Amino acid sequence: MGNFDGILSGLQLALSIEGILFVLLGVMAGTFIGMMPGLGPISAIAIMIPLTYSMDPTIALVLMAGVYYGAVFGGSTSSILLNAPGIAGTVATSFDGYPMAQKGQAGKALAIAAIASFTGGTVSVVLLMLFAPLLSSVAIVFGPPEYFALMILGLTAISSLSDGSTVKALIAAVVGIMAVTIGIDSQTGTARFTFNNPNLLEGIDFLVVALGLFALAEICNLIINRKDKIKGNENIGSLKLSKSDYKEMAGPMTRQSFLGFILGVLPGAGATIASFIGYITEKKIAKNPEEWGKGAVKGIAAPETANNAATSGAFVPLLSLGIPGSGTTAVLLGALLVLDVQPGPLLITDRPELFWGVIISMYVGNIFLLVLNLPLIPYIAKVLAIPRPLLISLVIMFSMIGVYSISFNTFDLYMLLAFGVLGYFMRLFSFPAAPLILAFILGGMMENSFRQSMTIANNDLSIFFTRPIAVSLLGVALLAFVVPLWQAVRSRRKSKMSS
Amino acid sequence: MKYIKLAAFGLISAVTLSACGSGSEESSGEGGGDWEPEQSIEMVAPSGAGGGWDTTARMAAEGFETEGILDEGMGVVNKEGGGGSVGWSYIQGKSGNPHHLFVASPPLLLIPLNGQSDVGYEDFTPLANMISDYGAFAVRDDAEWEDLNELFEDMKDDPEGITVIGESSPGSMDHMQFVKIAAAAGVDPKSVKYVSAQDGSTMTNLLNGNADVYSTGVTETIEQVRAGEIRVLGITAEERMSGDVIEDFPTAVEQGIDATFVNWRGFFGPPDMTEAQVAFYEEKFQELNDSEFWADTREKYGWEEAYMNSEEYSDFLEEESASMQELLDDVGLYNQE
Repeated sequence: MGNFDGILSGLQLALSIEGILFVLLGVMAGTFIGMMPGLGPISAIAIMIPLTYSMDPTIALVLMAGVYYGAVFGGSTSSILLNAPGIAGTVATSFDGYPMAQKGQAGKALAIAAIASFTGGTVSVVLLMLFAPLLSSVAIVFGPPEYFALMILGLTAISSLSDGSTVKALIAAVVGIMAVTIGIDSQTGTARFTFNNPNLLEGIDFLVVALGLFALAEICNLIINRKDKIKGNENIGSLKLSKSDYKEMAGPMTRQSFLGFILGVLPGAGATIASFIGYITEKKIAKNPEEWGKGAVKGIAAPETANNAATSGAFVPLLSLGIPGSGTTAVLLGALLVLDVQPGPLLITDRPELFWGVIISMYVGNIFLLVLNLPLIPYIAKVLAIPRPLLISLVIMFSMIGVYSISFNTFDLYMLLAFGVLGYFMRLFSFPAAPLILAFILGGMMENSFRQSMTIANNDLSIFFTRPIAVSLLGVALLAFVVPLWQAVRSRRKSKMSS
Repeated sequence: MKYIKLAAFGLISAVTLSACGSGSEESSGEGGGDWEPEQSIEMVAPSGAGGGWDTTARMAAEGFETEGILDEGMGVVNKEGGGGSVGWSYIQGKSGNPHHLFVASPPLLLIPLNGQSDVGYEDFTPLANMISDYGAFAVRDDAEWEDLNELFEDMKDDPEGITVIGESSPGSMDHMQFVKIAAAAGVDPKSVKYVSAQDGSTMTNLLNGNADVYSTGVTETIEQVRAGEIRVLGITAEERMSGDVIEDFPTAVEQGIDATFVNWRGFFGPPDMTEAQVAFYEEKFQELNDSEFWADTREKYGWEEAYMNSEEYSDFLEEESASMQELLDDVGLYNQE
């Protein structure tokens, strides 16, 4: 009964003129900031914080939450059009989104992303409403051993992210793991591979690697293989999705709404892991895996549904436990503290109007996002019609702004350049970039959670095999590794027999 | 404009001074080489947005503005990285330019001592300390320990059985505040099993049982204590703190453990500042400290008043640094190449 009153007062706030106005403002600002290559939800929220100082806390949170999921929604745009993911959560979207746009179907790719994002966002908000109070206990079952197992499962995707040689994919992954070990080791506090250069102490930021390997490498490629193509690609194709497209998207969107939400609930996993795992699981069960990476419909729908679903999921630990599950929600938590709101287990009883108001506003916000974005797609996709020399300069500029705004350090710009060159040569010798970035993202968390587990268990490896969740995740990882191997051996034997 | 005014003012006062000789007004007058900022002041928080440094810096900047203490504006800039060292090197590069300040706390001592930064507090000009905060050691509500002594007794018997978790890396604040109190209670500092979780999962790991003790700041524990999820066995303050919930936290001292750990927070300037520049800031920070705005801010965040002027601050830092060095040496993390 108490909950019901809370929901009502939340509804009242979320649907007040102020509530609707600010959720609109939030999602608009979020989408536009998110669309810029190199700028993601963290920068978007940081820009908004000063605006919220004198606001009513609920409205402030409605605004900031809007900026957050708006930025995740818009983040796919730069991945699809420019191959320049602004946040880790949209890297997987570029795998099929960019090839589809290159084929002259940019409009379709953006439409798929928008519909998938909307579905993921909306379904997960419903899940959030129904289960937030219950799920808070799920959010804390994951400790270091479970995270280690989850990361291992994620890393088994390396083989499915390579379109050619598995060996080359593995080499790329090793380079990614090597790159992430640079910096101060969190478990001992010693500097590793920094060559006494203080700029490397903090390690290499994700954006530097992603924008270098994807955006800059693509630009090198465009410049070197230009074939006098000064004019941009005018053709953005039709926005209309066919019935068969919808049919194809339905499966991944349903599954990934749930899976993405659950992964988002786990602190630390979030949108990035959700989008990768979403991409990989759908590829594994797809009938046409050979078309993935070349502009598959499902290859856009899966990660986009998952990352938006995970974004709502991330509000479960934040609102019901006061635990920030990601960098972005940590910034949100900081902003809430300034507004005298202390999220924690008591928030839902102390301030039901805030708790429910924000959740209901997220539902409104997702509808706004879809309604705003769909008609805008033809104009946004026109980015591709910008003459190449100008477009290339713009992408370089935005990439540099994005990287520079991490810590205002010019050293990061040189690193960006270095990864751009590395990315170009990797393409030249057909080493896939996706395994490198995947290993870079997961490798750091994997090492860290492994060593935390080891300290907790006094160096007894059995900690991974005595905990049900950890051992099941490792089991799935083993299957993911062994089954393709077994299939390969069997098909080879079959072809031998038939010949 | 300002420049010209200042120069003219200097000239006039110089003339008057030389004319009057040593007058009685000289000491109270503007004769002592007064200084005022010539441009807006940059306040660096050597961390990301939302943390303790960032909050202190932003509240101070807001206070200076709302109370009208500074004529020039103050902008807060985040320079994240290396546990603070990126921001510190930046300020070090501003040597002699007193328009760049930064906010600091014990990591400014600890991080150089454990070898993660080449610059330390000696490289800067301490201007004023403003507040102090204290550490808290929390356990799950159903934990077997009723107070710190029971915990430390168990630690002495079976150090491997108890995991302590904190946000900062080993050898920095969350680790050292625990070690300091535990060592005073007779626990071998090296035997403390400390896990660092920098991804925000510290509270999660206390609640789900992966860690047994959470070493953190007092304010971070309040919500979960109110919700009955965790208990605070002890805090590192000398005396009980005031405020709802917080007043019930026992200190280590009252449990017979003679040790405290102060999470002081204050402001520093670049190297090579003149006396007049230091005096200027000292006065402004004192004014802020006495203001109503700052009193409200302290209450809001549960900070204690701990104003120190530049000289007191320097002496305090020297003592703290020596004691931290000893402690780090005991844990085996003191590292000076």
